Order: sequence, then C-alpha cells, then structure tokens
Amino acid sequence: MELLVLVWRNLTARLTRSTFTWLGIAVASASMVLFLSFGEGLRHALAAEMGNMGPQIRVVAQGTDAFSPPLPELPPQMLEQIKQLAPELGIEKVIPAVVMFRGGFDPASSFLFYGLPPGADPRDFYPKAQVAAGRIDPHPSGAVVGSKKAELNHLTMGKELRLSRDVKLPVVGVLKPAGSMLDSFIFVPLRTLQKVLGTKNYGVFLVQLDPDAKPEEVAQKLEEQIPGIDAQSTTEALKFAERAMRIGDLIRFGISLVALVVGGLLVANTVMMSVYERTREFGVMRAIGARRRFIFGLVLSEALFLALAGGVSGVIAGYVGSALINLYTQHAVGLALSAVTPRLVFFSMGIALALGLIAGLIPARNASRIPVTEALGRV
Amino acid sequence: MLRAEHLSKHYRQGEATITALTDFTYDFPPGATAVVGPSGSGKTTLLNLLAGFDRPSTGSVELAATKLETLDEDGRADVRLRHAGFVFQSWNLLPTLTALENVSFPLLLAGVGRSERNQRALPLLEKMGLAARADHRPNQLSGGEQQRVAIARALALEPAVLFADEPTGNLDSAAGAQVLDLLLEHASGERRLVLVTHDLQIAARAQRVLHLRDGRLTKIEEL
Ligand SMILES: Nc1ncnc2c1ncn2[C@@H]1O[C@H](COP(=O)(O)OP(=O)(O)O)[C@@H](O)[C@H]1O
Ligand SMILES: [Mg+2]
Repeated sequence: MELLVLVWRNLTARLTRSTFTWLGIAVASASMVLFLSFGEGLRHALAAEMGNMGPQIRVVAQGTDAFSPPLPELPPQMLEQIKQLAPELGIEKVIPAVVMFRGGFDPASSFLFYGLPPGADPRDFYPKAQVAAGRIDPHPSGAVVGSKKAELNHLTMGKELRLSRDVKLPVVGVLKPAGSMLDSFIFVPLRTLQKVLGTKNYGVFLVQLDPDAKPEEVAQKLEEQIPGIDAQSTTEALKFAERAMRIGDLIRFGISLVALVVGGLLVANTVMMSVYERTREFGVMRAIGARRRFIFGLVLSEALFLALAGGVSGVIAGYVGSALINLYTQHAVGLALSAVTPRLVFFSMGIALALGLIAGLIPARNASRIPVTEALGRV
Repeated sequence: MLRAEHLSKHYRQGEATITALTDFTYDFPPGATAVVGPSGSGKTTLLNLLAGFDRPSTGSVELAATKLETLDEDGRADVRLRHAGFVFQSWNLLPTLTALENVSFPLLLAGVGRSERNQRALPLLEKMGLAARADHRPNQLSGGEQQRVAIARALALEPAVLFADEPTGNLDSAAGAQVLDLLLEHASGERRLVLVTHDLQIAARAQRVLHLRDGRLTKIEEL
C-alpha cells in the first residue's frame, strides 16, 4: 500500500511522460485483444455452426478448397456409385446439392444459393431450422430464404428472386434466425439451380449415416473407392478449421507482438529515464536506511503499474472495439465474429504484466545497485 | 557509540592512487564534534566511512556497538536506519513527498503504521517550527525550511548519531544560524553530532573540533 503511494506520486510527478507511456501500452494491448478476438469469435461461430449441422460427411470434388463454395464437378454417375456403396458402408441417405455464390462487395449484394433435390429441405443442413413465414420446402419452384438475407435484401413472402436473366423464383418461405451461416443462405430446387449453371453435375453430396457407422471410416472408404473426391466428416472439418484458426491466431499474435514490443520499449524508456533522474533521490533513501530491495521493488512496481494500467485500459478498449465490430458483422451476416473471452482477457493481462516485468527488471536492478556515495554525489 | 580505528581510504584513478584519508583514529564522545579542513582534505570521505556509505580501504568503524565492516550493504543500511540520522548540504528531501511524509519516511522503512507515523512525525515538524508546512512539497519550501525538515527526518527514529555535511552551506546567515541551533540542540545527552564544515565560525559552536589536512587528522581542539 505504502509503496503504491510512492509509485503513484512519482508517476504523476512526470504526468505527460507517464500518460504517453500508458497510452502506448493501452494501444498495444487493445490491438492485440482486437486481433485475437477475431480468432475467438470465429471459433465460437464455427463450433455453433458444426453443432447445428446435419450431414455427417460432405463429399466434394478433389482439390476444392475448404473456404470457397464447391463448383459443380461431381458427375451424376458418382451419385450412383455412392448409392451402390450405401448399404455396405452404413449410409442412410445421400443428398446431392449444388451451390452457387454470387459475390458482391458487401453482404447485401452477396448471394449463396443452395440447390436441394426433391425430398430434401433446409432441415437436412441444420436440423433445427424453422420457418418464420411460409413453408420450409422450396419445391416445386420457390426460394426459402435465411433470416439475415431476408432482412438485408427485404425479401418478403411472394417477392421475386432473380437467379439469372431468365430464371426467377418467388420467395415461399423465410427462416427463423438461427445465429449461424444458415441465416445467410437461400435454398432453391436443385433442378432450377442446375439449369442456371447449365450443368447436370453436382457440387456437393451431403451424406447421412446410420447411427452406428463411424464417420471418419466411411469418409476414408469413400475416398478409396471413388477416385476424384474429397470426403470429409464434420469432426474432421472441425479439426481442420481449428488448425487453420490456430495458424491465424499465431499470425495475428505475431502482428500484435510488434505493437507489444514497442509498448515494452516505451515502459523501459520511461522507467530508465525516471531512474536516471532520481539517482540522487535513491541515494537519499539508501542513506536514510532503505535496503536495495526497497529501491528495486519501487522501480519495478512503477513499471508493473504502468503496464497494468495500460493493459487494463487496452483490454477495455479492445472490448469496446470488438463490440463495435460485432455490431457490424451481426448486421451484415448475423454472426458475432469477434469475442473477448475470459481466457483472452487473462492472456492479454499476462502479456502486459510480463512486458512490465521485463521492461522494469533492468532499470530496477540498476537503480538498486548505484553505490550510495555516487548516488549522493550526483545532483 | 561511534569509533574509528586506523581508517584509510584510497581511490584508484587509472594508474594513480589517490589517498583521501590516512590512518584516522578517533572515539567520538557524546555531544557535537566538528570536522574542519580545506576543500579536498577528506571530510566527506570520513563521513561516508563513518556512516557506512562506503567501505574503508583499511581500518574499522564501530557505530552503535556494531562493526560496520562485518556487514553488507543492506546490513549497514539497517544500522543507519536505526542509529544514524543525516542532513546533507542540499537536495535532502524526496521531492514527490510532502514535508510530513518526508519526516515519516524513516518510520515507513522501519515498518511503522501510517497513523502512528503521522503521530510521531508531526510533533517533530512542530519542534522545527514547521507545523503549518506539513503538507507542502519541498519545492514549496525555502532552503532553510527544507533543512529543518531534513533535521526533523533525521531525528524521526531518535538516532544515537547525527551526521551533517555542510548543512548550512547553501543557506543565508539567518537561516543557517537557525539550522545550526536546531542541530546543536539535538546533540545533547548521549547523542552525538558529527558536523562537517569548512567554516571555522560554525565549527566553534561545537564542543570539539577535529582538523583534517590532506586526509590526516592533524589537530584535536577541545572548546
Ligand atoms: N570517488 C572518488 N574518486 C576519486 N577521488 C575521490 C573520490 N572522492 C573523493 N576523492 C578525492 O579525495 C579527496 C578528499 O575528498 P573529500 O572527502 O570529498 O574532501 P572534502 O569533503 O574535504 O572536500 C579529494 O582529493 C578528492 O578529489
Ligand atoms: Mg565535502
């Protein structure tokens, strides 16, 4: 408590310098929190997504990358091949689908169409899907629209949705918000979408399994027996995404590390200058009877205090920034993409404190080792 | 008690060795002892050794029944805290603390709680005629006032020995006289005051005067 008063007095005695140092660390911490909050948000969104997903295996053409919509490159005979293998592998149902993405620069002008065969509807993707208005099945010739998409493009019941120059579909159903990617999808009949794309092929097979079949094993067998496909179970996809996300985290942490190092140097500079200016003061303290540890603790506490104050403000600023980002992404895609989780808060505070410690140790050591006579001699 | 035996201090400067103090032996009696000598005669060096700020090249110092050379830095700091008080020429006070907090500082180091610290520090400031200045920072005080705060602080733990190195050096004669009176007033009974000065008039106020010249004790004058 007493030490804190001394620390506070000294930092406020050099108010401008302390303030800038504090701001520097706050900005560094905030940028780190913000950068890493994306990873946390995506992770949450993904977990929710996977938890909601129906099919246990997705089959796409080999070479399709995981983050873009699959092109229609699976020929009809592949569907027959899978159906033939179905009894042997414990496949309950195969839903062939086509995906069409019409991209724009913002969410309102981007459209993701899913073409589903007769007998299949959005619940085969997301078992919990429910309609807010109309019906859930797009057949025979309608479009079922996710809640976010409906809101962004003012798609109400009966409105015409243009898929190409001469293909139009009326909105026959609007889904309830699900808090996942589902909210941005548009479901249409498979035939219609194939016609728009001018193909008889499929983009993806959604494979549902018997309860006792093992998704990883079935996926592997499918890949062995049907050349030219990628079969991926939901859990595998989750693992893959987690790995990709960890790499993303590392990259983001690397970028924010630059800011953090600058913040650390700021603290070190501030504390070193303050130590140099106060040599005489430390001399007086030692003369009166302060031990070396006292001086060491005093200087280190100053560095830690600066780092802690900067860290706390940084986390708060990062939290606010993250909330602002979510305000936008929630409006745009219906997902909170940024999350300041407790572990992120602890991690950031830990990093800030570690910085303060590293930046403070050397000045503190120097301050505590100045010989008394030398310290008293310098005015 | 304060006793020095065969105290010498050499400074190495490159190839050359400077002898700042040679074979100083003296047992300081209670009361005020002035140390005089021209500039560079070794006065500050002597005080540094007596107070344990520095280690002698040879010889020994006994302060409050403790041989300082047997102690490390922190051990000597502990002895200073309990048994010695200091008033330097200038720049004595901790600039970010108020007068009262400066006087309380040794008590804080000694682990005394806040309310008791204030209870003990305030009467000391009163004795120095500074009760009204308790909440002032050093830069709001005159030089004489600062020195009086320093004396109050030096007395906070009722030390056996007071060390003062040119305490009036930066003061006008009126303020200097006041500071000197206060120092001498508190060098009574068993308490000792070691008063380093180059001013013979000031030295004459002590009970005895030690004359240093070129690092040697050349004369002991009882007054
Ligand atoms: N740290 C030091 N290094 C080298 N020489 C020193 C040092 N301190 C003092 N001296 C020398 O020792 C002698 C005595 O100095 P000092 O004790 O400061 O004298 P005084 O206080 O009487 O003026 C002087 O010649 C001075 O230059
Ligand atoms: Mg001197």
